[in-house]
Amino acid sequence: MLVFYFYKTIAKKNVIIFIMRLDSLLSVKNLSVSFHENHILKHISLDVRKEEVLAIVGPNGAGKSVLLKTLLGIIEPTAGSIEWFPGIRIGYLPQRFHVDMYLPMTVGEFLDLKPRKILTNEAVLRLLKLEKSWLKKRLAHLSSGQLQRILLAWALLDDPQILLFDEPTENVDVTGQESIYTLLHHLQDTTGISLILVSHDLQVVYKYANNVLCLNGKQVCYGEPKEALNHKTLSELFGDHTVFHHHHL
Amino acid sequence: MTIPLIVFISGIVIAAASGLVGSLLTLRKMTLLSDALSHVALPGIALGIVFNFTPLWGGVVFLFLGIFLIRIIEIRTKLATESITGVLFVTALAVGALIIPEQELLETFFGNVQSISYSAAYIQMIVAILIIGTTLSLLKQLTLASIAPDLATASKISKKNIELLLLVLIATTIAVGISFVGVLLMSSLLIVPAVTAKNIARTFKEFIGISMIISAFSLFAGLCTASIYSINPGLATVLISSGIFFLSLFVPTK
Repeated sequence: MLVFYFYKTIAKKNVIIFIMRLDSLLSVKNLSVSFHENHILKHISLDVRKEEVLAIVGPNGAGKSVLLKTLLGIIEPTAGSIEWFPGIRIGYLPQRFHVDMYLPMTVGEFLDLKPRKILTNEAVLRLLKLEKSWLKKRLAHLSSGQLQRILLAWALLDDPQILLFDEPTENVDVTGQESIYTLLHHLQDTTGISLILVSHDLQVVYKYANNVLCLNGKQVCYGEPKEALNHKTLSELFGDHTVFHHHHL
Repeated sequence: MTIPLIVFISGIVIAAASGLVGSLLTLRKMTLLSDALSHVALPGIALGIVFNFTPLWGGVVFLFLGIFLIRIIEIRTKLATESITGVLFVTALAVGALIIPEQELLETFFGNVQSISYSAAYIQMIVAILIIGTTLSLLKQLTLASIAPDLATASKISKKNIELLLLVLIATTIAVGISFVGVLLMSSLLIVPAVTAKNIARTFKEFIGISMIISAFSLFAGLCTASIYSINPGLATVLISSGIFFLSLFVPTK
């Protein structure tokens, strides 16, 4: 009887752990990154589940891009652990992508440079509601907003289950910004993709994110936006003047 | 001046390889690096002339020694590749010019097609074919790492390996091209055609293709002019390739 009871509890625990694992795409514990004894990130912990949108907010130089690059394995962490769901496909949109004005390359040729493609160029353009004729456009002739869409297309080519989006802080006009978020939202609706997005726009966070991580070298807050982003965390994050701004959101 | 057919053919293949590698260099804004690097071969060529072995091999050895040295200094000092090459290139130029007998100095600087033996022409042609094959088979990775290093790293393409591969490709291309156009004029095959192609091409395929064709045509026309008018083939090639560049400025495409 006793043996049976133990067996049951162990089995139950395993099932629970198993279900948690199936649902969780990324688990980060106590992550720290430093360059030459400069602490860029300190003790960051976060989880991302299926279909979740996690926003990362913080002032310039808070280590947001470094965090994304560390998650991607471009930068080595100094401490802590990063656990991705085994075999997960990750998409990435970098903050900056400078195109040489004289680069003779079409959008189609650029997308063809992607290693390990799963979807075709045409299929990805369809996902983004772009015409097939975009493939013939010259990369150097695109506006920054259009270029960002093509980068999104690039990121979607290997049919990722999670997308890491590093918001550009410059050079994208407001309408361009808005359309990229509408597009991401539409994508999430149709494909159920998870998102980690770096943003400095709190409206975007309130509108689209399930969870928010406030970053200022260390983890200032983490949780649902309405709870995590309170007066105290916001003033710690951006300084006192933003609290006023927050009231008007 | 009569130039054997095999030297002609070998030269055209080498020039095509230079056009291909050169087009990758313009993507990285590394054009002057290749020019400077070609001078690093000089002491090796000098040793070949003085000790009577094929100067080409001396050049190859010194080019690779040069790359090795650049890498070591780069790791130790964090100086840019281009800066270190700048230092090495003047040093190598001075050392080479000191060793090479005066009457052969001009040939080394501007190339001497007539000194190319049949066997050397064959070997150089095979090496050039290998360069073209390697570059084309790794063209995607080489291009991506040049135009979007971040995307390349995210796609698990090693930046260091690609840079090393590119340096080896440049060095090998220079080594096989030097006997045709000389140490000083190597950029007529590597840089000028690629820059011209970049100026008129609309797609990447066009860019690479035009660069290879201009390079090959310049050398071919250079060798023809040289054999008709008995002038230095290296100089003729440079003038033809830069002539095409200036003409291309009048092509209204963009």
